[in-house]
Amino acid sequence: MSSLAEYAWLVPVFPAAAFAALTAMGRGAGRAGAWIGTLASLVSLILSLLIAGQRLSGTAEEYSNHFDWIQVGNTTLPIGFEVTNLTSLMLVVVTLVSFLVNLYSQGYMKDDERISTFFAYVALFSASMLGLVLSYNLLTMYIFWELVGVCSFLLVGFWFRKPEARAAAKKAFIVTRIGDLGLLIAILLLFWYMPNHELDFTNLHNVFGTQTGVISTGITTLIALLIFLGAVGKSGQFPLHVWLPDAMEGPTPISALIHAATMVAAGVFLVARTFDIFHASQAAMDTVAVIGAFTAIFAATIGLAQNDIKRILAYSTVSQLGYMMLALGVGSVSAAMFHLFTHAFFKALLFLGAGSVIHSVHTQDIREMGGLGGRMKITAWTFGIGALALSGIPPLAGFWSKDAVLTAALDGHPVYFVVGVVAAFFTALYMARLFFLVFAGKPRGDAHAHESPAVMTIPLVVLAVLAALAGFVQTPFNGWFGEWLTGEAEQEHASGLVIIVSTAVGLLGVYLGWLIYAKGTVRRDIVSSRMPGVVRLLERKYYVDELYHYVIVKPLEGLGKLLIAFDDYVVDGAVRLAGMSASAIGRLNTRLQSGQVQGYVLTALIGLVILALAVAGRRFW
Amino acid sequence: MNFNIQLTGEFIAFFALAVCAIVGAVMALNFTKVVHTALSLAFTFIALAGLYVVLDAEFVAFVQVLLYVGAITILMIFGIMMTKHQGEGQEPARPLLETLAAVGCLCLLAILIFAIRDADFPAETASLPADTTREIGMQLFTRMAVPFELVSVLLTVAFIGAIALAKKEEDPK
Amino acid sequence: MNMLASYLTLAAVLFCVGLYGVLTKRNAIIVLLSIELMLNAVNLNLVAFSKYGVQPSLTGQIFSLFTMTVAAAEAAVGVAILVAIYRAKTSVNVDEFDELRR
Repeated sequence: MSSLAEYAWLVPVFPAAAFAALTAMGRGAGRAGAWIGTLASLVSLILSLLIAGQRLSGTAEEYSNHFDWIQVGNTTLPIGFEVTNLTSLMLVVVTLVSFLVNLYSQGYMKDDERISTFFAYVALFSASMLGLVLSYNLLTMYIFWELVGVCSFLLVGFWFRKPEARAAAKKAFIVTRIGDLGLLIAILLLFWYMPNHELDFTNLHNVFGTQTGVISTGITTLIALLIFLGAVGKSGQFPLHVWLPDAMEGPTPISALIHAATMVAAGVFLVARTFDIFHASQAAMDTVAVIGAFTAIFAATIGLAQNDIKRILAYSTVSQLGYMMLALGVGSVSAAMFHLFTHAFFKALLFLGAGSVIHSVHTQDIREMGGLGGRMKITAWTFGIGALALSGIPPLAGFWSKDAVLTAALDGHPVYFVVGVVAAFFTALYMARLFFLVFAGKPRGDAHAHESPAVMTIPLVVLAVLAALAGFVQTPFNGWFGEWLTGEAEQEHASGLVIIVSTAVGLLGVYLGWLIYAKGTVRRDIVSSRMPGVVRLLERKYYVDELYHYVIVKPLEGLGKLLIAFDDYVVDGAVRLAGMSASAIGRLNTRLQSGQVQGYVLTALIGLVILALAVAGRRFW
Repeated sequence: MNFNIQLTGEFIAFFALAVCAIVGAVMALNFTKVVHTALSLAFTFIALAGLYVVLDAEFVAFVQVLLYVGAITILMIFGIMMTKHQGEGQEPARPLLETLAAVGCLCLLAILIFAIRDADFPAETASLPADTTREIGMQLFTRMAVPFELVSVLLTVAFIGAIALAKKEEDPK
Repeated sequence: MNMLASYLTLAAVLFCVGLYGVLTKRNAIIVLLSIELMLNAVNLNLVAFSKYGVQPSLTGQIFSLFTMTVAAAEAAVGVAILVAIYRAKTSVNVDEFDELRR
């Protein structure tokens, strides 16, 4: 049976072709360029859905194909693609969000003069992300891994005339670079230690999953931690989370596509893909879980005190990615991927909703918004669904996936569970704060808010439906999704405790938020008046940026200045010395070069005499 | 001394003519007026012509007188006449240049004399034919015909070039 | 019997006197004349070797004839250049001819 999976490589080709076409057309393409990008993503989406559909029927074999890229001696470096249930799931998520964001950007970026450039970048990003998802081995993955980083850089700095956008793009690139270096070293180590230098995921699974002892535990831990470092950088985990909130300087659809739904999830996907390596090392697993849990609660608390609508969502993203890492750390790939799956929908929805709000009121500060619910009904409703989904209110998608994560955490260690629950409470609280401040109450800004055009609201509605319903693919009573994903029978453990607790904290958070920010029965400064230090700490994001500034950036700047001084005085000094000596000799020679022929002849004569004396003198040596 | 002085006729003639030549040359450099220099050098050229006669080179001596004394010196005098020579000898002296030139020339002379005295000249194994002029004529039109013609071409070119150089440029209208 | 050495020495003396003239005299005409003197010194060598060389031959004399011809050409072109420069600079002082520096 010919499988559609054989044609999976076409999925990234369409956006890549769109990118090439848009680049070739240049800025003149305009709105037509936007439609080309959207059309390409639509084709990719259809193809991905067909592939996933075929896999859902359960009969298709896993398909992979590759060719030799570089051959050095007996070693070959192949690149290729592979289609499994996991990758087909990711294909659908990426192409769907990509298509919706493309559609949405038609409205959002309508008035930007570089709109075709924007769509070209988005198309390149889609192609790279799909390539990353389809990768057959770590090397191919790394190439696309870097490409999505580049696209992120380009798109965060899309409005490069703003200095903040430039700084954010640079920061995003440099900070993720730290993680990328870890991943690169990990790949090199794997290349060194793997039998036959195989880097493809099937062999990794075989070596680490089944044949224990081929690679020593120490090396395995090291490799796993380095891979995790790459994931930490890409997925904005503590301590490399600092770039993600700043990346919100990019256009909002980009925040939805790259910094909420797809690229930041690449780290989770990477860990899931190489999960066997982690599984072989308990230390690595613990690290992943601890970092994930810490990031989840750490970012959630920061989210409580921010005032920029996109930054709140960004910290929320960091927090939710922490959840996924936590799930991976306690050994549940299916829970992590499930949360990734649902999170992609509702976080993209939230970002696009936020974009719709920003598009309408031209500010990002939630203190200047308010009362928008009446005038932007569709945005308000869909945003509300997304917020509830994120807060984990049943029966929306976020509830089920968070529930799966918390269940896994409870299996792992009670502390993880408690941390997860507290983070969930904070999540519900800041989402309630955000929602009520923006959509409820009286208008605070003087902007003439209006509903966004249909091209922007349709993606919102689609995503809202998905955010509401996507959770039902796996409930505690129905482990079908996990089974399909991992190929192993999922024990159906409906834990009443988890359901009750997570629902309770979610509702509690929302209720508290309603009390404070909508009804006003609880004063807003109840915390800030009692503990101004804590609020300040949260507003300043635990001073992590400042810490990095003084611990890393400043010394590096000092080193840079030192090197500049070295360059200026030692290197340039030597150069200047050479130059000056040459010009001094030149000046000396210009005095010889007087234009007086007699002087020249005299010089020649003296030279001749000296030569004759030297030749004659050799006789007496 | 390896000048074994034998007062032959040739030696006396050589000595007298050599003194004339050197005196003419040195005096030429001592005169301040250019015309005197030219005439003094003409004297040297004549002395050299005498030396050529002593050396059995009558034809060369003849040409020497014709060319140097007759042509080149006159040419130089024409050059002197066509240019102004006021204020001769009033320019500031150039002691450095002159000292260095004197030292260089003396060194060169010393080296040359040392080389000449150091060299070992074997005695000649044959002698020149009696009628050198005739022989020169024969050779110029047989063995040396091609260089001879080439020299005539060179002369023509040189004189045309000289005319082109010295010709007054017409005022561009 | 060593007349050759005497002629060569005389030629060397004349050559060096000419050279000194070339080096020190400001007047371009005297410089040209000094060059002629140096050429004559060389001619004297040629003719002397023509008689006292190991194999006496007329070639030396013929060669000196060629040298004289070339010297005549040189003198003619030299005076012509001198006149042309004089027209431009109204001077025959060699130390004012510093076009080579430009």
